[in-house]
Amino acid sequence: MPKKPSLLIVDDEENVLFTLKLVLQEAGYEITTASSCSGALDLIHNAHRFDAILTDLWMEREDIGLELAKTASQLRPRPVIMIFTGYGSITNARGALGVPVDYFAMKPLDLDELKGALHRLLAARPGTKRGLR
Amino acid sequence: MTVPAHKKTALVVHPDLNVLSKYQALLAAEQFTTIVARDLPTALMAITQHYFDVAIVSSQLGEPGDGWPLAGVIHLVFPKSYVGVLVPGADLLTLQTAINSGVQEVYEGDRAPEAVVSSVLGSLKAGEGKGKARAGVQ
Repeated sequence: MPKKPSLLIVDDEENVLFTLKLVLQEAGYEITTASSCSGALDLIHNAHRFDAILTDLWMEREDIGLELAKTASQLRPRPVIMIFTGYGSITNARGALGVPVDYFAMKPLDLDELKGALHRLLAARPGTKRGLR
Repeated sequence: MTVPAHKKTALVVHPDLNVLSKYQALLAAEQFTTIVARDLPTALMAITQHYFDVAIVSSQLGEPGDGWPLAGVIHLVFPKSYVGVLVPGADLLTLQTAINSGVQEVYEGDRAPEAVVSSVLGSLKAGEGKGKARAGVQ
């Protein structure tokens, strides 16, 4: 049986974390969650490997999700990096373009669009297992 | 015997011939082979016939925003290549579209072609050393 692609979902809003976990688990992904940027960085630094990292922007402080994105962009193999925010601005979008982030979404999230983008980006990565719903 | 360095190829897509001519001259001076296109069909044809290291695409080829799907296609076909998009203004939606299309940079309307080419060259140089890549571009 092929291994499920692993996702790290990071958000300080418990209901968002819960919903995303439920929806993406149902879609066939293996989910790990973190409720802060520092929690996510701990996971990454403790040799956890993720195929994709989906993170909120504003957590411990404004735009801290960009720090996680920058750290994730240095990992090899590089995971897909997706950012979502309720506080999109030209400044943080410019920052995300500079990382570069693979996907930038505004809250409230369109979950079908998010799943579609995630599936497409993972399929473009070498070595990712297919066959997700 | 010395092996000649790989000559890079650029695609520039813009409806204005004067703009295309300017970019072609600037890129030729930097040793690029440059293919130009004024519209979507010509650009798509070029993509099927050449490999491009760099693409500079106007976000408005005929209708507002119709350059974005082309930029996305170029990124999908050439994931290791640099894609820059010329835009009238960089608002939040434009930047979001750029990220989600796999574009590396957006250049606002008032940026001179010289500045755009200089920025592209700088990014290519930085990318060679740092491996600044998107997912799937290892």
